[in-house]
Amino acid sequence: MTTAELIYQSIASQANPTELAWIEEKREADTKGLALAFVMVPRKVSKTPIQKDLGLLTGWDWQNGTVDQLVRVYFLIQLADKEEGKSQIETLFDTAEMNELVALYRALPVLNKPEIWLHRATDAVRSNMGPVFDAIAFGNPYPKTYFSELAWNQLVLKCIFNDKPIHLIEGLDERANQALANTLADFAHERWAAGRRVPSQVWRLIREFDTKTKKQDLERLATSQDSNDQKAAELVLNNSPLEAWKALEKEETAY
Amino acid sequence: MCQNPNEHPLNPSHFEGSTEEKQTAQEVEGGFAAYTQGMKFFDPHVHMTSRTTDDYQALADAGVVAIIEPAFWLGQPRTGLASFKDYFASLVGWERFRSSQFGIKHYCTIGLNSREANNEALAEQVMDILPLFLQKEGVVGVGEIGFDDQTAAEEKYYRAQLELAKEMNLPVQVHTPHRDKKKGTERSMAIALEHDLAPHMVVIDHNNEETVKSVLDQGFYAAFTIYPFTKMGNERMVEIVKQYGSERIMVNSAADWGISDPLAIPKTAALMKIKGISEADIQKVTYQNALDSFAQSGQINEADFIHGLEIDQSLKFNGNTVLRGGQAPRVDKNSIFIR
Repeated sequence: MTTAELIYQSIASQANPTELAWIEEKREADTKGLALAFVMVPRKVSKTPIQKDLGLLTGWDWQNGTVDQLVRVYFLIQLADKEEGKSQIETLFDTAEMNELVALYRALPVLNKPEIWLHRATDAVRSNMGPVFDAIAFGNPYPKTYFSELAWNQLVLKCIFNDKPIHLIEGLDERANQALANTLADFAHERWAAGRRVPSQVWRLIREFDTKTKKQDLERLATSQDSNDQKAAELVLNNSPLEAWKALEKEETAY
Repeated sequence: MCQNPNEHPLNPSHFEGSTEEKQTAQEVEGGFAAYTQGMKFFDPHVHMTSRTTDDYQALADAGVVAIIEPAFWLGQPRTGLASFKDYFASLVGWERFRSSQFGIKHYCTIGLNSREANNEALAEQVMDILPLFLQKEGVVGVGEIGFDDQTAAEEKYYRAQLELAKEMNLPVQVHTPHRDKKKGTERSMAIALEHDLAPHMVVIDHNNEETVKSVLDQGFYAAFTIYPFTKMGNERMVEIVKQYGSERIMVNSAADWGISDPLAIPKTAALMKIKGISEADIQKVTYQNALDSFAQSGQINEADFIHGLEIDQSLKFNGNTVLRGGQAPRVDKNSIFIR
């Protein structure tokens, strides 16, 4: 079965007959009709939480998704397969409402030629709208697969900067790199100078790399009043397996 | 909103209350919140794009739970379609998010405003993109449209947008002109009726003592903008409700880049309470009528905001939408320390 067919199967198991009839009619539409159908989804399909994860693509997490989002993704797949599809999708991005943006970014990894949407994906990382940033950053395998090292590092850094939990980023440990480790060390020093902190789990990204200040930084963590920071230092020093970091996977603020 | 009729000669007070009422009103100025405890407000006309984040905080603190932002003139004329497109997109995107951070549900109306309708070459292009935006989630009407100078071009695009509203079964938010208001208001209503719009689908905005009777008599919703100097003062508003009751009447702030007050609705509610208007009537003109009229779009679900925004599933992506209702970091403005 194709991705579209699998998604349709999941939709069919949760939508009511009226909703399904509308979806079946609209999926046959031309590019313009499909784009309009994408916009109209919330008027026709309810925001039922998705009962179980789709299991379609590793790291593509739908556990907190809703059926209307999935229907939008389904229409986008049809649209991306059409000749004029790309320009219609560009228009959808340019005119998008907040929930539409979320659906657009959620859809990227399953569209035809996902790599052509890289410029949009990096825009989402620049977005100040929380749900939009989350849509590309969390439970989405697109950045892991398509982002350059520079773009990837921006994603991780912005996530930390905005006090969001990095463990929700797909591919976090696989794509750890020396440049990111250096930047994170600098970032931690800035925060410390301002009397703030970085979430303890951030140190997992420095684990395998040498930074100029690694020794001092670990000492500071080990002697800190914060038990999470102590734990982080211990995990790095003992070269503990990644599973051990699970204990520190949580949202933490800068204060 | 001033209590002293001598202070703002441009907005002469129509205050007709007793000396005692006047005394009370003066005493509570600045402390209006004591009179609006437990009330919830819906501002159906406020241009948050032109306001700061502090205003969102003040709105949330004052009990405003939902707002409608009509598309309007930004003060600087736009010269290209892209600036219209980006503006409309910001009303359904960034502004919506900014509002959600303070637990306020943000809706908008989309339309070509009367001033910029006079740039016909651009107006034609804007008309082409309106249907796309009018279909968006949370777009509750066509607005604000109508007359400014009452030119032929304004009339042309007002009519075209009334047709769009009818086709999409959306309410219309009609801006009535500052100058030659009475005639402009009558003309706006006559044209709406000529296009077969049901009066209950049309909100005639910026009314005053001179226009209200005809608007209500013809079955339209009558909105009043509490805005210093140029529109209504809230003492006058109280008198209107005393005279006409609360049926199909609503108040709004229309706060924008001018000297205006985003707290106009809660302040007016406090004044109504002080002056003996029943809480049921206050609730209608500061919440319910705005909700009922724009909910005809099918795009407003009261359950989304009446108990705060956190139950909105669409904002719960990954269970982690960082700044949900009322959870935005607070800054103590009285503290000398900034951390």
